Amino acid sequence: MPDTTTGVVVIGGGSTGAGVLRDLSMRGIDAVLVEKGDLASGTTGRSHGLLHSGGRYCVNDLAAAIECVEEGRILRRIARTTIEDTGGYFVSVSEEDEAWVPRFVEGCGKAGISCERISVEEARRREPALSKQVRTVFWIPEDGHLDPFYLVMGNVESARRRGAQVRTYTEVTGFNRDGNRVTGVLTRDTMTGEETTIGCKAVINATGAWAGFVAKLLDVEVKVVPVKGVMVVLSHRVAHATINRCHKPGDGDIIVPALSVAILGTTAVRVPHPEVLPIEWEEVRHMIEEGSLMADGVSTARAMRAYAGVRPLYDLGAEAEGREMSRNFAVIDHEQRDGIAGFASIVGGKVTTYRLMAERVTDLVARRLGVTMPCATAGVPLNDRDDELDQLRHRPAQVGVPKPHGDELALQPLVCECELVRPQDVAPWFEDPAVRTLEDIRRRTRTGMGPCQAAVCSYRLAGRLVTDRHQDGPAATRAMADLLETRWRGVRHVFWGSQLRQAQVTAGLHLELFNLDRQLMLEKSTAPAGHFPPPQGEGQGGGVEKAEVASQR
Amino acid sequence: MRADIAVVGSGLAALVATRTLQQAGRNPVLIWPGLTSLYFTYATVDVLGYSDLTATQPVEQPEAGVAQLIADHPDHPYAVAGLDALRSGTTLLIEWLRAAGFSWQGSLAHNLLLPTAIGTPKPSCLVPDSMAPGDLRRDEPIVFCGFHGYEDFVPELAASNLSRSWGRGEGSVRAIRVSLPGFDASRLFTSIDLARSFEDKAFRQEVASRIRREISVDGHRLGVPAVLGLTHDSDIHSSFATQVGHPVFEIPTLPPSVLGLRLFDRLRKHIQESGVEMIWAAPAHEAEVSDGRCRRIFLKSAGREQPIDARAYVLAIEDTVDGALRAGVHTVVDPFFRQSLAHHAVPTERTDESLFKPQPFASIGYPVTDRLQPSDDAGRPLAGNVFVAGGAIAGYDPVGTKSRGGLAIATGYRAAKEAMAA
Repeated sequence: MPDTTTGVVVIGGGSTGAGVLRDLSMRGIDAVLVEKGDLASGTTGRSHGLLHSGGRYCVNDLAAAIECVEEGRILRRIARTTIEDTGGYFVSVSEEDEAWVPRFVEGCGKAGISCERISVEEARRREPALSKQVRTVFWIPEDGHLDPFYLVMGNVESARRRGAQVRTYTEVTGFNRDGNRVTGVLTRDTMTGEETTIGCKAVINATGAWAGFVAKLLDVEVKVVPVKGVMVVLSHRVAHATINRCHKPGDGDIIVPALSVAILGTTAVRVPHPEVLPIEWEEVRHMIEEGSLMADGVSTARAMRAYAGVRPLYDLGAEAEGREMSRNFAVIDHEQRDGIAGFASIVGGKVTTYRLMAERVTDLVARRLGVTMPCATAGVPLNDRDDELDQLRHRPAQVGVPKPHGDELALQPLVCECELVRPQDVAPWFEDPAVRTLEDIRRRTRTGMGPCQAAVCSYRLAGRLVTDRHQDGPAATRAMADLLETRWRGVRHVFWGSQLRQAQVTAGLHLELFNLDRQLMLEKSTAPAGHFPPPQGEGQGGGVEKAEVASQR
Repeated sequence: MRADIAVVGSGLAALVATRTLQQAGRNPVLIWPGLTSLYFTYATVDVLGYSDLTATQPVEQPEAGVAQLIADHPDHPYAVAGLDALRSGTTLLIEWLRAAGFSWQGSLAHNLLLPTAIGTPKPSCLVPDSMAPGDLRRDEPIVFCGFHGYEDFVPELAASNLSRSWGRGEGSVRAIRVSLPGFDASRLFTSIDLARSFEDKAFRQEVASRIRREISVDGHRLGVPAVLGLTHDSDIHSSFATQVGHPVFEIPTLPPSVLGLRLFDRLRKHIQESGVEMIWAAPAHEAEVSDGRCRRIFLKSAGREQPIDARAYVLAIEDTVDGALRAGVHTVVDPFFRQSLAHHAVPTERTDESLFKPQPFASIGYPVTDRLQPSDDAGRPLAGNVFVAGGAIAGYDPVGTKSRGGLAIATGYRAAKEAMAA
């Protein structure tokens, strides 16, 4: 007998899984989402956050470009609070690039992408950061920044309000079957080891780059090619709008101003496993050099960290690899293809098209379950209201930036000064059972993502683990250390200039003033298992380097 | 500008060197690059907290510990500076603190063991009176007191950790919180705001009475975040303790460091009032060397370059914290002699995978002669009249052994003595 039963189990807590969960819940289908790490901790949370206008794909991958155009417009309606409508420039910086221009213009036309050629002078007036090498400039009003964390949380919270459940740090270890029909999943809590069975009528495999490992548990094959991308985070936005190189998509050709930072992306290297994501110095150096070709200030800005993510490219059997592969997605109906009823996979695609991917796979599963209610996700805002402030754009105003004269807006207390995160922004998450580490708090609030990389706020968060979550001191201290360590993994790759000073201040505070290194030694042998143990657990397909070890955004 | 001896730096080493010169009747000029870690993370003077990086047992007798360290590691900066420099420098600092109106405790004979803001015992050698009652070598039960709306000190966290590593039985460590009169938890305030408020007598009295209501039993001592006054620490601390009715001790916490501000602002002011010329916020960035001597250094100040001609120089720069050493992508270069102090093929080589292990970058600095002169690869001095003190000496990292303060004192004192003789 299963421990619980539901209609559909969704495996994977990235943007696709979260989108599927919302879609199911809006069609009135009971659903549970299981994710082996935290929400948005895999591919989604490691993306560069470019809301694609489609311009990057319009020459080589027209179908993907058209999807980006349509979905971008839908997201601007339903996910307003997760988008910074920056607009974007496509710039050419060499003769070779300029040869791409006619194809780009033609592609934009075919895909229906708004695209306006502007003079270099006009472009520089609007965007003084554009480099001297820039030769031609296109203004693409529909490029932007899509915050991948808020996007996933927005979808999940919308689904939760409709009764859906979420279980993080829960990996699928097997399936229950009745003949050729899937009747449930076996799960294991990666922190406590607790095993649970969830009975269901259908399972949707939305695990992206991990889809092959999940399918393998049912002895079916899903070929996903994991392609690594390395990104560099700069400590300020550098430019007002996104900047793309107008050429055949390649390494280091995107700059995305994202909230308080800018993200340089990215590389494309096929990797043996989605959790083996080493960051090579050559990649970091290349990001900065290529970024500098498009915008001034990239090489002199303070690089705060580097991180790596993995694209889940679906192998349609073509010869193409990496970037040449389509960014399209596919719904795999395993009943039809493999004779396994109650199991479907959704693979390929990208964050910008997550909603459409969710719609397609949910259409299939709903049909099989006899549910006729159509998809409603394109018409209802994620927050189910329409009257809220734009969270991303108005955050400083909510926090109350003090005016030089007068005190009509007093500064509110802050948990994280770098990212202007208030106590009331973090407090609710300490009550959420899906939140198990301080990294999870970071993903939901941006706490610790600024220049000090959690040196200051980690103490306040550890304090809240004791006061709000009733953890004991050693568990809270361990969690604080873990947050600092996960941040450090990204900091190390860009360790020059003022990064050294910052690291000395961090060490002075935590190791000298707090004596944290000795605290960790003292508690090493006696640390109790709690809700905040150190990251651990085998990955799906396990035995290789853990996802948590690779640096995160 | 001409000077007798120029001291460049913004930390304890620079201050000790300057005071040493002043006490010897010399005429030093102190060139202070600007705000440094002192304002963020400074609280006590740690001479030697642990004998090595893996020891969990604190050093009880720092002087004996340093003597042993010198015997075991003849290249260590403590060995180069010498135990006598540590002794004389410490005596000089203690007398100076007294002359400047501070009340500090401690000696090289014994470390105190004080609870940190996460509740970990930490060995320190010299500490302000306001911290000393927290000494964990004593057995009185401890009450950590936090303030509602102030998240920079969490008494519950400190109490939970300390009760495990030190606890003297049931109820020997606990946490309380009181609200502060006039502080609205929905508005931002910092330790500086609290420290200013604690200078007000009526405010202190009210806070003390609120605390008294929370502690019913006698014989406890009270640990509070270090916010008991911005300038007049000792008077405020003792009067507050009297009002509370229990011994009170301050615990340094998140930046800005009120203890660091108190200490260095007052020492700086004192040294200026006693006639030492000081140049503020002027990073030194170049040295002119000829015939084996440094002829002048150049300061960057207010958009122009200011040369300083001194007979000798003490470089007491705080390695990378005050930005003195420039870390490029591959090479770390010093600002004076443009020496490449370290080269790394990739930036990750500068760090350990763990933040809590010794970091290679922290050991970057000048190799020095046995007289603390910066030297080239062959061990020859780069300039006969330049001497290095504090964090800018290569080859050691004080973080793991908690020895930053003692090393600053010993090398600052010795460098000053050498500069006088040069």
